[in-house]
Amino acid sequence: MGVSVPRPGDTLARQERRFALALLAPALLVLLLTTTAPLFYLAWTSLQRIDLGMPWLSGFAGLDNYSKMGADPRFWNSLWLTFVYTGSTVVLQVVIGLSLALLVLQIPRGQGVLRVAAILPIVLAPVVVGLFWRTLVLSPEFGLVDLVTRALGLGSHNWLGDPQLALISVIAIHTWQWTPFAFLVLLATLATLPPDVYEAARLDRASAWQRFIHITLPLARPAIMMVVILRMMTALSAFAAIFAATGGGPGSATEILNLYAYRTSFTELNLGYGAALAMVLLALTLVISYFMFRLRRAR
Amino acid sequence: MSRGAIRRIALWAVAGMLLAVWAFPVIWALLTSFKTERDVLAYPPVWLFKPTLDNYREVIFGTSSILPNLWSSIVVATASTFLTMLIAVPAAYALARLNYPGRKASGFYVLATQMLPPVGLIIPYYLVLQKIGALDTYSGLTAIYLTFSLPFAIWLMVSYFEDVPYEMEEAALLDRAGRLRALWYVILPQVRGGIAVTTVFVFLNAWNEFLFAVVLGGNRVRPVTVAMFNFISVEQTQWARLAAGAMLAMAPVILIGLFAQRHIVKGLTVGAVKGGGRR
Amino acid sequence: MSRSASVRMEGIVKKHGAFTALHGIDLEIRPGEFFALLGPSGSGKTTTLRILAGLEPVNAGRVLMDDADVTHTQPGERDVAMVFQSYALYPHMTVAANIGFPLKMVGKPAHEIDLAVRDAAAKVEIGHLLERKPGQLSGGQQQRCALARAIVRSPRLFLLDEPLSNLDAKLRLETRAELRKLQRSLGVTAVYVTHDQEEAMTIADRMAVFMEGRIVQVGTPHEIFRKPATVAVAGFIGTPPMNLLPASLTAAGVRLGGALLEVAAPGVSGTREVILGVRPGDLRVATAGIPARVEFVEDFGDSSIVNLEVGGQRVKLRAGESPDLAEGREVNLAFDPRAAHLFDRATGQRL
Repeated sequence: MGVSVPRPGDTLARQERRFALALLAPALLVLLLTTTAPLFYLAWTSLQRIDLGMPWLSGFAGLDNYSKMGADPRFWNSLWLTFVYTGSTVVLQVVIGLSLALLVLQIPRGQGVLRVAAILPIVLAPVVVGLFWRTLVLSPEFGLVDLVTRALGLGSHNWLGDPQLALISVIAIHTWQWTPFAFLVLLATLATLPPDVYEAARLDRASAWQRFIHITLPLARPAIMMVVILRMMTALSAFAAIFAATGGGPGSATEILNLYAYRTSFTELNLGYGAALAMVLLALTLVISYFMFRLRRAR
Repeated sequence: MSRGAIRRIALWAVAGMLLAVWAFPVIWALLTSFKTERDVLAYPPVWLFKPTLDNYREVIFGTSSILPNLWSSIVVATASTFLTMLIAVPAAYALARLNYPGRKASGFYVLATQMLPPVGLIIPYYLVLQKIGALDTYSGLTAIYLTFSLPFAIWLMVSYFEDVPYEMEEAALLDRAGRLRALWYVILPQVRGGIAVTTVFVFLNAWNEFLFAVVLGGNRVRPVTVAMFNFISVEQTQWARLAAGAMLAMAPVILIGLFAQRHIVKGLTVGAVKGGGRR
Repeated sequence: MSRSASVRMEGIVKKHGAFTALHGIDLEIRPGEFFALLGPSGSGKTTTLRILAGLEPVNAGRVLMDDADVTHTQPGERDVAMVFQSYALYPHMTVAANIGFPLKMVGKPAHEIDLAVRDAAAKVEIGHLLERKPGQLSGGQQQRCALARAIVRSPRLFLLDEPLSNLDAKLRLETRAELRKLQRSLGVTAVYVTHDQEEAMTIADRMAVFMEGRIVQVGTPHEIFRKPATVAVAGFIGTPPMNLLPASLTAAGVRLGGALLEVAAPGVSGTREVILGVRPGDLRVATAGIPARVEFVEDFGDSSIVNLEVGGQRVKLRAGESPDLAEGREVNLAFDPRAAHLFDRATGQRL
């Protein structure tokens, strides 16, 4: 570069604009191609009947797929499961993560080791985690959990094969993998809270519980909100772990909307309906994130 | 014992329990990978056993070798990480520090693309890739991986760029550097740490990806996450081999996690406090 | 050594959305001058400096340097150097690399850069710190590094944005004098922004006083001190600042607090509402004059400031060592009529 002759009117602002757009263009192009365009295609597909198993039935179907959904009990089941799954894992993660962070904050020497231990679940591939739990942890007779329950006299159970237990197991798996995230972030946040506020509270004779409610929680609120939002996004799009652990089963016991859409599209080869389900999931995600962000910005 | 001491012991007990819960499954898998199939299925569980390398031998050199899968993973993860960083860093710089029309809109757009559930995207991806014959190819899979890597990388890098004082560019411009050289000589060196952390995260995400790998890959390009299912079939589960395969598949990721642990935690906090992120 | 530019700003208007930061600034700076832009926070002085640097666009008006229109020229093309308030040193480069950066950008050969860097560093006495990084330097050393980076390319104009505000008080005083010496030896035109009126008074050849986006007075420090153009300027300049009291002006003199003081007022007919300004150094305790009550005395050892209350307002008087004035005592204040400043109460303008 170096010295360039200034063209009349070639102001700093204009140069900045050109530079910015040049830097941004590749990213925007890629994103448009890989997210926005496919989105339109998905919407279009959801209006079709594409049945790879019975190709002679394919054709434009309008809003058929969506009206079918209304009467589809499996759909409502998956919606319900999605709410239960997302809600319980997020709540568990935040509550456990926060409690653990508070506890660990008081043993500074243990924090190093715990951080290393906490990293492990996070870096593992969710699919591997699902398989681990399915085989080594939750297997009836040989799994870790079964060993413990048998030792405690609670007997052996089919943790992933029993419809009731399967949902709980799957929630446990997700919570196990992602609580460390909440734990680490909240630990770091709590460590940066100003100590003088606490000292002032002590002088004002606030009890530990009061200090928690009135000082810790409000100060940590932005971090907690962000953790909630991020964990929600992960829970809504959780796929690999459940797929590996139960495949959505037994039956539809753990078939959250995500998995229902996948199974419909790639196992039952009903792509049109699968696309419609995916559109509903997308709408759900957008609505939830909109509310969460509004909540975050409020107050 | 004093009240303080009891409290300390209780805290350490909790910490120990945490350690156990989080680390134990991995350690158990590690142990299992050195057992024979018979030892694995023994009850009560065998703690002292004769370790064997048979599982690893089979998983690396045998008929169910996952070496080609490791290779797929390495190629796709590295290529997509490299491409992602190449595109994301300049874009994040523009978003964070430059003024241009549509700045806010493009910021929202990038954020919004992170909200898309992958299940929704694979259907069109599958159909399109099939049409252009890019299914089960390295380039196809790498390109698709950009979908989730790019917004995430941009968002992380934006927060790192925002930490650099704004006068840096101004000083550089007055020093006759011009915009491009200001970015190269003055700004980028100051976000070196952020670039490293972001690269680690992007690589981790790419290595661990399953859904896109299983739907859009095939027999030629089959990352290690998909290969795990080789050891599970309707008839039987090859426990010890699965454990060995999984340990191998997760080795890079675990090593990175252990060595870059401090940076990962910092990255998580930065991402959580300042913006959105996939992990 | 350096060339020195003449600078002219004509009718500069700067807006941020609906808010007008500068309402039409006209300024003329002579070559080699040390020119200060003085004013309270938000008065527009830093904005003016940044416009000179080319870092901000203008909505109207022209900027001329050496009679050439540079209003739309890029910052890098103006041959202007700037020292930022935060110094803006490149933290990842050594001091030597920082100083040499502008020369590297124009492609000077390495050995020339090395010589120039050593030369500049020597001028600000940081030659021994060349291999350190900015993070390892003290505040004062960082400031000198920023200075060296600015002078290394012998620019025609030097811009300084409150360069001393991050230093502690003692260092500030020392560095003030050194800055002045440096500018004199280089002979370069310098424009200096500050909100510290004492600093501007001691260091500048001429200065412009900014208030709310306008220049209210331009002149040498002495001129402005002796004859402030408005009440605002009067209350801003001087330590402690001028006492400003509301009064009435007639042909007979100034009526304040029941006392009548003989102050010559040219061509006044009838009664006029004014503000009377008297410096603390010009006030003295007298047998007759403005009634006042002593509030408290600030003792500085060899001098003191007496704080008094006049009609509900605080008035300060400069006195010698340990004045014999107890708190609560009632006294009268007088002053030399020639030391009075009169301002129209409505407009604030000098009469």
